[in-house]
Amino acid sequence: MLESSYYTVFVFALWVIGIYCLATKRNIIRLILGIEILINAADISFISLAAGMEGFVDPLGHSIVIVSIGLAGTVSAVAITLIVYAYRQYGTLDVRELRHLRG
Amino acid sequence: MREPAIVFTPTLDLLLVFTISMPIAGWAAIRIHRKFLCGAYTVAGLAAAGAFLYGLFLDVSQGTVISTPHVGVFSAYLRIDMLGVFMATISIGIGLAVAIYSIIYMEKDTGLPIYFTLLLAIVSGMVGVVFAGDLFTLYIFWELMCVSTYVLVAFRRGRSESIEAAFKYLMMSVAGSATAFLGMSLLYGMSGTLNFEGLALAFGQAQPNAWLYLASLLILTGFGVTTAIVPLHTWLPDAHSVAPSPISAILSGVVIETGIYVLSRTCFSAFLSIQAQWLAIVMALSVITMVVGNVMPLLQNDLKRLLAYSSIAQVGYMLAGLSIGTQLGLTGTFMQIFNHALMKGTAFLCAGAILYTLGTRQLDEMAGIGRRMPITAVAFTISLLALIGMPPLNGFVSELIIVTSAFQANLAWLGVTIILNGILSAAFYLRVLRVLIQPIGSEKVERAREAPWVMLLPICFMAGLIVLFGLWPDPLIRFTQQSVAGLFSFVGQVVG
Repeated sequence: MLESSYYTVFVFALWVIGIYCLATKRNIIRLILGIEILINAADISFISLAAGMEGFVDPLGHSIVIVSIGLAGTVSAVAITLIVYAYRQYGTLDVRELRHLRG
Repeated sequence: MREPAIVFTPTLDLLLVFTISMPIAGWAAIRIHRKFLCGAYTVAGLAAAGAFLYGLFLDVSQGTVISTPHVGVFSAYLRIDMLGVFMATISIGIGLAVAIYSIIYMEKDTGLPIYFTLLLAIVSGMVGVVFAGDLFTLYIFWELMCVSTYVLVAFRRGRSESIEAAFKYLMMSVAGSATAFLGMSLLYGMSGTLNFEGLALAFGQAQPNAWLYLASLLILTGFGVTTAIVPLHTWLPDAHSVAPSPISAILSGVVIETGIYVLSRTCFSAFLSIQAQWLAIVMALSVITMVVGNVMPLLQNDLKRLLAYSSIAQVGYMLAGLSIGTQLGLTGTFMQIFNHALMKGTAFLCAGAILYTLGTRQLDEMAGIGRRMPITAVAFTISLLALIGMPPLNGFVSELIIVTSAFQANLAWLGVTIILNGILSAAFYLRVLRVLIQPIGSEKVERAREAPWVMLLPICFMAGLIVLFGLWPDPLIRFTQQSVAGLFSFVGQVVG
């Protein structure tokens, strides 16, 4: 059964930092970093919990994390492509300027 | 030893093979100046996948469950039951209609091979999600589906609004996926497994603890973003209105419903022991969702935005069926998913046909368009009346089942709320109908002509199905009931 450890506390601290970053930052690149922090929080959680099985380190957790790192890379690639186009359209990286859509 | 040729069932293999080979085929088609071959290749792939899906249907229709590849070291595998086949039928069907429609609709755009590759990737992602036997496989296919949709929303990359909508969608959806992933890690930490059967056995009888509640909330929030449950819905009207119309049809018709499927699946495996509390939260959210989804369209002047908001309302009805939690309620939910895919798919394709001929999404600029595009207007009218829930169209049948199940479960207030929302929704759907049959207002509408027949083909076929399943819903009800029984299979195992 799951017990709270330093790792779990750390994971939720990271998660809160990621959400805080998404909520308060204005620079689009920083928002991407916030997303990466969120994904890494989940990855660290998997790694630390895989070690908590009785008697051995479960390889399932590690294989999940490797795939997840790949997925996170894909997502950042798409996001950064969008940032390039947004910069060409709006001429700024300030997320508050991206407000043509309303309602 | 020879490796098996088929990895994940013929249907999904075929979809993935076509996804990967599409850029090459598309490049060749562009080289020989036959652009329509890109679309034709996609249609062929989806049709073949659909044909193999029928074989799969025959295999599982006796109640057997297919597990493939056979469980190896990591116990990450596909687990296909009736519900998976049911959802895959919807995804491939709508994908096929959208692919046929896109041949003409996207004709003038560049980058067609990429477009069709991503379209196939969305469909393979959705089929993978509904076939997945564990949360890890589900997460991979989920991301395949989501990443393809981000790119497709931003497909017209020269327009600032599509970039903005795609960016908003990406931010919210990725944050949601990461949150759900954290929830999965907690489930994994508690039980040491991620497959649905293992989760049901691990948590079914155990005393629920705080971690399980936390995991359930994280998963509800995470998948709730893509499902557009109300406090998390703000990306939807932007993304669904600026995406190319066929993509709006597939986003509204199937992608958000895949989220509902995931929520029902986890609810009936991992969260069996805390189901009552979890479903109470879903019920509260469903009421808020349907009210917001029915009030906001009243203020819209953009046709596709109006339809996007009405998708939120429909998600509210589906969540209401799920939150009742009985077999009848779930039958209503999944029938509503099937019917909504048809209704909203037709509505978005018709809106796209109007956008194609007229070049505007604004309602007041399309006054009287029904007089110039009669076939589109008739199909549009059928789909809008079905969305209101008019008998004898299919939307009526599924809403009736949800309302009946609410009354049976002593939740009369929920049933009444759904009925009142249905009446409220008539206000804005009828406004669209009035715009269609108004006297012709402008020169542009006067010169408009009916859309090409390739676009009308899927529209008319789907409108026909709306009427057919409204008049004769029995086979659909039986199919849905069998599917939902698969969802309840773990309940029996845990209790018995």
